[in-house]
Amino acid sequence: MPDLSHVGRRYLAPGQVVSAERVADYASAVSGAGEVYLPGSVPPTFAAVYCLLPSLAEVLADAELGIELAGLIHAEQSFEWPVPVRPGDVVVASAEVASVESKRGMTFVTLELAATNQSGDTVCRGRSLLLLRGAGR
Amino acid sequence: MTAPGAGQEARPGDEMTPLSRTVSQAQIDAYADASGDHNPIHVDPEFARSVGLPGTIAHGMLDMAILGEAVGRWAGAYDRVAELACRFSKPLLPGDTVTCTGRVVSVDPAAGTATLQLEATSSRGDRVLTNGRAVVRLAG
Repeated sequence: MPDLSHVGRRYLAPGQVVSAERVADYASAVSGAGEVYLPGSVPPTFAAVYCLLPSLAEVLADAELGIELAGLIHAEQSFEWPVPVRPGDVVVASAEVASVESKRGMTFVTLELAATNQSGDTVCRGRSLLLLRGAGR
Repeated sequence: MTAPGAGQEARPGDEMTPLSRTVSQAQIDAYADASGDHNPIHVDPEFARSVGLPGTIAHGMLDMAILGEAVGRWAGAYDRVAELACRFSKPLLPGDTVTCTGRVVSVDPAAGTATLQLEATSSRGDRVLTNGRAVVRLAG
């Protein structure tokens, strides 16, 4: 289980191509059986794919930090998009452990997310609150 | 039901057109594939029950994506959505219908933005997404 000594750790994910195909698959999954709204346009929450999940994968891969996918609950999420993401962009995402708090036998970890495009513009910033069940082993 | 994307002026108190969507297990599976989030609580009913859930649950990010679509429809374009936030309060179960609602709480004419308060509830009466908030860049 992570503790205060892990605050400030930063994780960099490999570059992600925002391909039109991946955007179309994502938009179709969000639409379900219905019609895709604005085909070709990048849904804002596609940030889950180019920012949150790749950087979270790096966080989960840190055995010293000790966050496991099983028992992990996504409690809160915020995103902001200073510059729109476009199909074809190559985006590098990062996550920093902003805080670790233990309450009622649960651990709350806040990650600060960021993603920059090939021009160095920040295309997304975010904050994830993760709840880890159990007091650890 | 004004939409700034349609050239209407946004005012505090304006209601966003609600967006309802019934989320099937097939849609949750498709979301897992499209997003790359294959956490078994979303796709494996046996595993989900083993960790105390009634069965599989939709990804919180899928619920948030539907909320984001509702805001995008109100804004008239996805790249007008400047900020989106929510709390994942209750799980959405396969077969449930989620309804996203929102209301303009403030307009900043200088910045050309509107702030909306948002929520998503399920057909079983659960408040799935709470503390929802979006900032939208209004059409100039």
